[in-house]
Amino acid sequence: MVAQTLEIKSSSASMWGTTTGIRTLPTVSKYIDTSTCIGCKACEAACQEWNDLKRVPTAQDGSYQTLPALDAEFWNLIKFREQDTADGLAWLMRKDQCMHCAEPGCLAACPAPGAIVQYANGIVDVNPEACIGCGYCATGCPFEVPKFHAKTGKMAKCTLCVDRVEVGLEPACIKACPTGCLNFGTKDDMVALGNLRVKQLKDSGFKDAALYDPPGVGGTSVVTVLKFNKPEWYALPADPHVPIGVRVWKQILRPVGVIAAFLSIFAVFGHYTKYGPKEVVDVEEKSHE
Amino acid sequence: MSSSVAETPIVVARHRENVIVEGEIIRHRRASRLIHWSVAFTFFLALITGMPIWTPIFRWMAALVGGLEVARIIHPYAGVLFFLVSVLQFFHWLGDMHFRADERGSWRPSKLMAYMRYEDTAPEGGKYNPGQKVFFWAVTLGALALLVSGVVMWFPLRFPPIVRELAILLHDITFICFFIGIVFHIYLGTAAEPGTFRSMIRGTVSRPWARLHHPGWLKEIDNKE
Repeated sequence: MVAQTLEIKSSSASMWGTTTGIRTLPTVSKYIDTSTCIGCKACEAACQEWNDLKRVPTAQDGSYQTLPALDAEFWNLIKFREQDTADGLAWLMRKDQCMHCAEPGCLAACPAPGAIVQYANGIVDVNPEACIGCGYCATGCPFEVPKFHAKTGKMAKCTLCVDRVEVGLEPACIKACPTGCLNFGTKDDMVALGNLRVKQLKDSGFKDAALYDPPGVGGTSVVTVLKFNKPEWYALPADPHVPIGVRVWKQILRPVGVIAAFLSIFAVFGHYTKYGPKEVVDVEEKSHE
Repeated sequence: MSSSVAETPIVVARHRENVIVEGEIIRHRRASRLIHWSVAFTFFLALITGMPIWTPIFRWMAALVGGLEVARIIHPYAGVLFFLVSVLQFFHWLGDMHFRADERGSWRPSKLMAYMRYEDTAPEGGKYNPGQKVFFWAVTLGALALLVSGVVMWFPLRFPPIVRELAILLHDITFICFFIGIVFHIYLGTAAEPGTFRSMIRGTVSRPWARLHHPGWLKEIDNKE
């Protein structure tokens, strides 16, 4: 079910969403400051609780990370990385979840009308009622976020707690964070907060601190403060884009293919009009008898 | 050979082809026709379940099978079935589909266009003309490409993203070519060439039909009789 009180800006496999343009809603965003995250995983627990997700058995892969990757029943994962830097070892933690891109690749790739929607406030949501579980969204996503749920046969991911946000509450992960490294508000406010924090970090000696809000996907509704401007150290793509294959497929191949299909039908009608049927002539046979 | 069933064309057409019975020439025996229609049926099942997933323009096709979710479930199985019967079809017809020495280069678009203009430039040929052989090989390769790319798209999360992207593009391009090919195949087999459709239903054609479309084949049969 999609959030009922929010207008839909764009909808998968549809010409347009349901926005009227009468009401405007500011884009919302999460704010994640990796420099003050202590890896307590309160956000993971809060996410599981609020979204009524099952307890997923943890997997030990040599780090403190709960699971190797996001899961259809685990939408919020702190990624732990040990990284050699110029100033010695850095223990990096980043809260990973759906990035809620302004130009979502999942939505572009989705073939089911209304299965992935982007609300007027920028939240990207999966609508299980319309989802057909084909997994194309996973191919469209540059962050490897949407996961297939084997039991429901649907894709699942972080909703940015749209059911909380639409009634004026902050997302569950934000509410649970004990250090204030997570915040929630309008995109403009979160970017301002991020830039302020980046400046603080730079002033404290982290010369290449940066705010991660990748322009390749139109910016994201999750802005992340990185102490080191090396997104890959945090298991983030350096310059994410909707995959070229998905864009060629949807923007070129599909319209060209539809036109070619109809043209071939017109062509045979045209042929019949011009040349008509190749009639069997019985002359020789009759002279035979 | 004595039999309780009269040796009418339709009876003989169950098991034998390339023979003349009561003035009718048997072109496709029952096995050939069953294979052809199995391929056609599974192809159209895959088509009406695949095209609504391709673009919402064809979403109405999903209603024919009960909705897009159902289409998504049927499509891969219909596709696998289509491939299996295509393999059967390949081996069934392979013997007749080698290009003869005088048919080399007849796959060229200019030659195919000349055929469509009813210009009689093609060599006399055998049971199948070069255009049919081109179609046979294209369908075989197409079925293989659709299967390989389709399996990747069926289990997307088992393959790396670049493989998935390439599979999607291959599946789309192959299908578009397939669609155009099938439109012409159906047209040539029905409206454009009267008497042809009967060879895939009843299994038989008339002598004048054979003389017009496959004179070399008619000579082979006459020489044999």
